[in-house]
Amino acid sequence: MSILRLTILGIVIVVSWISLLPKIMPYKTKQPYNDEELRQFALTHGMKPIPKEKEALYKLIDSKENHVTKEKVSLGKKLFFDPRLSKDNTRSCASCHMLSKNPHDKEVFYKDITHPQNKTDCMICHIKDQSGSDRLAAAIGPGSMEHPQHLNTLTILNASLAKYQMWDARSASSLESVKMMITDPSLMRLSKQEATKRIEGILAYKKEFAAAFGDGVTFDNIAKAIDAYQRTLLTRSAYDRFLEGDDDAISEEAKRGLQNFIELGCKGCHTGITVGGQTIQKFPARNYNHIINVTGVFSTTLKGRDVARFEFNFEPYRRFPFENKGGFLGKDEQQRFRVPILRNVTKTSPYFHNGAIFDLRRAVYIMGKYQLSMELSDTQIDEIIAFLRSLEGKVIEPKEMP
Amino acid sequence: MKTKSLIASLDLLFMFISGILLMEQVHLCWEFFRIIQPLHIFGSIVVLLLFLLPFLYQHISGTLIHHTKSRSGIFFGIVLIVVLFSGVYLFLVGNPGGDEIALFVHTLHLYGSFLLIGVLFWHIRGLFGLKALSFTATVLVLFSPLTLHSQEKMSNIELEDGVTRYHVKEWTNSTTCKECHPEIFKQWANSNHRHMADGNPYYMVLENLAEMDRGVEFRQWCMGCHNPSAVTTKQERTTHMMQENNMPDPLFVKDSLNLQKTYKERPYRLEQGVSCAGCHSITKATAKGNSSFSLGLAKRKRYLFEGESAKAKVWITNHLINANPQTHKREYMRPLYKKSELCASCHDEFLPHTGKEVVTTFKQWSHSPYNDPKDPKKHKVCIDCHMTYMKNGEFTPLQGHSTIGGKFKKDIKVHYFAGGNHFLAGLKSKENESQSLQLLKTSAKLDAAIKKGRLLIGVTNTGAGHKLPTGAADFRQLWLDITLKDASGKTLISSGKLDKHGNLQKGSVIFNKVFGDKDGTPVGLFFWRYEKLLSDTRIPAGKRVENAFDIPKDARYPLHLTLHLRYRIYPQWVTDIVKAAYPALTDPPAVSIAKLEKDFE
Repeated sequence: MSILRLTILGIVIVVSWISLLPKIMPYKTKQPYNDEELRQFALTHGMKPIPKEKEALYKLIDSKENHVTKEKVSLGKKLFFDPRLSKDNTRSCASCHMLSKNPHDKEVFYKDITHPQNKTDCMICHIKDQSGSDRLAAAIGPGSMEHPQHLNTLTILNASLAKYQMWDARSASSLESVKMMITDPSLMRLSKQEATKRIEGILAYKKEFAAAFGDGVTFDNIAKAIDAYQRTLLTRSAYDRFLEGDDDAISEEAKRGLQNFIELGCKGCHTGITVGGQTIQKFPARNYNHIINVTGVFSTTLKGRDVARFEFNFEPYRRFPFENKGGFLGKDEQQRFRVPILRNVTKTSPYFHNGAIFDLRRAVYIMGKYQLSMELSDTQIDEIIAFLRSLEGKVIEPKEMP
Repeated sequence: MKTKSLIASLDLLFMFISGILLMEQVHLCWEFFRIIQPLHIFGSIVVLLLFLLPFLYQHISGTLIHHTKSRSGIFFGIVLIVVLFSGVYLFLVGNPGGDEIALFVHTLHLYGSFLLIGVLFWHIRGLFGLKALSFTATVLVLFSPLTLHSQEKMSNIELEDGVTRYHVKEWTNSTTCKECHPEIFKQWANSNHRHMADGNPYYMVLENLAEMDRGVEFRQWCMGCHNPSAVTTKQERTTHMMQENNMPDPLFVKDSLNLQKTYKERPYRLEQGVSCAGCHSITKATAKGNSSFSLGLAKRKRYLFEGESAKAKVWITNHLINANPQTHKREYMRPLYKKSELCASCHDEFLPHTGKEVVTTFKQWSHSPYNDPKDPKKHKVCIDCHMTYMKNGEFTPLQGHSTIGGKFKKDIKVHYFAGGNHFLAGLKSKENESQSLQLLKTSAKLDAAIKKGRLLIGVTNTGAGHKLPTGAADFRQLWLDITLKDASGKTLISSGKLDKHGNLQKGSVIFNKVFGDKDGTPVGLFFWRYEKLLSDTRIPAGKRVENAFDIPKDARYPLHLTLHLRYRIYPQWVTDIVKAAYPALTDPPAVSIAKLEKDFE
């Protein structure tokens, strides 16, 4: 009897020590790299700054199939803000990829809010973000129709530098994706012929097209002009300055976050000059649901990792660690997605392809758990978010542009 | 038998010594206290169930069989039962201060334990002293590892004086206070202090404008007082609430249900605005203004599991606090909180870039007749008006309990924070609105006379310990609404009316201050551009202001005068701008805070 009692007492003491120890022991941080080491570590792991010099910038944004010229950019900018490019003349590219006509206009908020015919919507405050995305969970098409697959608007800032475009990596270049968006029935819903006809009917455009292109108004040229404008929308942030050698550009916490970002494995996918957008990956890589709920054995509609459907389903199988709004399953319905660009991620909530997660902390946690099999601690998440914040940048001024 | 008796007496000694350490007179260092308190309670339960009761059962049944009578044994048993039951009562019911039975039980538990130890020595006088050495060793083993680690932790805590930021977890959510202070929580939840940041559309628009005008760092100036939790956790801006794809309207949410809901789902989401901890963890405050207070969140004394959100842990913390509430009271209710300096740290503002004074409410009070520490009858501090319950237009100190089971108080300081902004609080609760309106109505008196063919109207600031109105810039409108009619019903003088858009008629007699920028043009919303004071017609405390109006000479007497002193928290043009971003906002009403009707022969 006494042995039993002693055992129970032992267990109680051990358990209480274990629960009390973290409160008694001080928290020790891992010895971080010094600034120079960290910079070299980042640079050798595929992270690159967006350059400051005009020539390097031009080299970066130019493409063989669509050379960036001043005429194209100014024409593209007009088209970008022109609602006539949508079926019902209500939506322009800028309705979802929110940018003000002059992203450097500081007074844009005051002008909007005191405008006599002010429209009341989220844009009044969020146009200041200059994020190239709206804050809605789903893209909005003509007639205020939500995207049928409930896809969240991707930012267009820096997007031209990505290897893949769109959530399911449907297109490989930004030019191609511009064409897709105009003709997409749930976005601008304008056929090639209609678009050409509309733009041709506007005299001012006709002149500018003649100046910018040899062959006047064609659908290809419309897309090329918009693409040229979009290519100039690059942002430079504190992170870029840090990579170029400015030690004070980002905080100590952000430096620890950068270290975590590389060491924990985030950079494996969120890589390249855009910090993402260069690869296609499965999400979620690890679906813990499978362990308890094995679902879909005889079903012919489900593919891939879905193995079996048994009678004893404890809870409905979930595709994603959040609500599967819209039922979008990515490339080839295999839950394969283009890795999102993390530049300006702090300005582009909500997160994930259907905008189901509003909280950046939650998004980081989910990425850690479902992609890396790690339960990130609160401190780690804090540090990573401090790093993500250092990726927040302003659109490069046109005078700095070639 | 002897070893078993020894173990049992050691168990009792463990309970006794840990209990002695918890006594107030011992002044045990907090880091020890918070560990020893649960050890005393839960350790006693474990030891009691596993060792003491089985031993006593054997021991007593043995004595019954052998018909040995021990008076000391019987006495010991009775005292033990009393101490055990009183201990259980103290943990489960607690001793928050107002419960007379609990006070009695506490005394019983305290002195009973001394008696118990005395009786124990009497009972085992034959056995004691045999293994004194091993006893000392056991006590050392029980306490020494704890001592070592506590010291390590303590030094950490001392270093934390210089922390540069708080973690979101440090900011105890106000919802946790509701458990024991439900009434105070309800008052605060509908008050303006709660809706200082994300719940206040006017503030949200102005903070955005501030960034536009002076850069993103300037937001910190606003946030220092409006949103201290965000400043100390190094947030860049105040963020509005989101639920799914839309922005829930915080304007009409009663009792901060949105805050409670968020806390349930995400206990560590930062609570914005001035929370309970926002004021009740201030350790020092000066009258300088611009959030001149220091917070002691990181180094405050916490009970075991305090600040955790799991239900079981919350239950334990609440019971631990209730069992020994002295530290909780001392930590969250400092003498400073009853002084005007605390309020002054935020209710005085100056521009960080020029040093120009924008809001001087505290300075106005300190020069007013209400600041008279020598005469306690005349001396009135901020909380004497703004935190005293009002009933039927008069200060009626609220009597009762502010804490469940707490002491009976003759004057509960209510947390309606009655003041100028009756409007935003009123959208949530009529009680909060009524408190502010009642207070406003005590502030001024009107008088009128006709001399030499002129109508003289006087306004006296009778109630406010500061200028009327006070607050930021010209966002407060206080004006005279005058209608003078002659015998035939013809209107002779009409002033201070609102047009159909809600704008105040031009030429009205308005009591406010107007800021101008460096070129002398009114600043409008951009009050941080203030350089020159263009006009100041506010009424200082206790002073009377007189305005004269010409009466047409052909007027037929008797004349009838209807006079209102009207007040509106925000001018219409400000509301119009804010409505662009917050369409659900309603127009603030123009209330009458003093009225006079008079006939002149």
